[in-house]
Amino acid sequence: MAIAGKEFGNVLRLPQGRIAGVVASVPKRVVGNDHFLQTYSADEVGNIEKMVGVKERRWVDLGQTTADLCAAAASRLLEQLQWAPESIDALIFVSQTPDYRLPATASVLQDRLGLGRHCAAFDVNLGCSGYVYGLWLAMQMLQGGGMSRVLLLVGDTISKVVDPADRASAMLFGDAGSATAVEAGGSGGTFVLGSDGAGAPNLIIEQGAFRQPAAGQREGGRNPACLRMDGGEIFNFTLKVVPGLVNALHAAAGVAGSVDYYLFHQANQFMLKHLAKKAKLKEDQVPINIDRYGNTSSATIPLLMSTELSEILTLEKKSVAMCGFGVGYSWAGALLEVGPLKVLERIEA
Amino acid sequence: MQAFVEEMAEILGVAPADLVPDFKLADGAWDSLAIVSTIASVDEHFNVIVEARALGDCETFANILALAKQGA
Repeated sequence: MAIAGKEFGNVLRLPQGRIAGVVASVPKRVVGNDHFLQTYSADEVGNIEKMVGVKERRWVDLGQTTADLCAAAASRLLEQLQWAPESIDALIFVSQTPDYRLPATASVLQDRLGLGRHCAAFDVNLGCSGYVYGLWLAMQMLQGGGMSRVLLLVGDTISKVVDPADRASAMLFGDAGSATAVEAGGSGGTFVLGSDGAGAPNLIIEQGAFRQPAAGQREGGRNPACLRMDGGEIFNFTLKVVPGLVNALHAAAGVAGSVDYYLFHQANQFMLKHLAKKAKLKEDQVPINIDRYGNTSSATIPLLMSTELSEILTLEKKSVAMCGFGVGYSWAGALLEVGPLKVLERIEA
Repeated sequence: MQAFVEEMAEILGVAPADLVPDFKLADGAWDSLAIVSTIASVDEHFNVIVEARALGDCETFANILALAKQGA
């Protein structure tokens, strides 16, 4: 993978935009690692727990979708902020597990949440980097002055697409949704966005869309209609991109020593600890919740804010760096001031 | 170097004394998770990012050492 020229992406400075509130929602069903003893040996389960760091995760039941989780989060958020549904100018739904192949889930959610017909609504197909991309997009839409409030709904239910026979991914992923209220004003943020599609085969669901319609047959011991992940390749990518992404954000904003928190996509606990050590970050600057929720794909960063920083960010303003990286390959970093937020909470749906 | 050997021994599930250069990786717990751990261990001790595919082709501990030293 060659990363040259602009190294880790364009540096994009948005002069205004602020997060007004965040609600993350998780399914009620808690799945502990003992669930996997039906399929794998105790040694295998123990080894994977040690490596990926997940002790339990939340999984949806068959009838519950990402849109359901996001709708519950959005309703709670609007109620807590006392934002009238008709005051929302745009709804962005970021997910790789939408309700339908068409129409866009955002359109369905616009009606479900009672938003006005003037509300722009569209889907964005991104995973691990999706929250930061969505935040950039939401803030970008506020720059022109034509819009003042954007509802960013981000989440995934990867439990529905993991291959139960693939122990590393079956135990890694959890489900979650989120809603973030973004409004005009505030101090905006600095963003760095990048992609490298050469890594696409290393984290992929090959069948089920239009390149390869689902055949439903196993090939070479695996199901191509389920998620395939090459952990070693993903780790190589992460090590090459994330430290540089953090440095690029520091350089762009000129704030190396003054970032309060680094919110990394919760990819894998072992990987996160290694990255934090490599980047010489203090443990208390790098919150982790993957042990309780697993890797929730696009929802990890808002979920992390809601479970680890709720107290501090509802009281104070902090300088926060966010880094999403993975499927695509795609990566995005943001550096912005967050807080004091009127609402930052985690709910069950 | 000794710290690296001890870490690799833990990853492979063998005693450090048994981890001689011609140790066959197939005789230890050498799987996709071990490859991820090895990438981290080599990065920490040698400041080198070894490619997962190259590690997948390794047959002995000496092959891993060669990759680590090649990049250092």
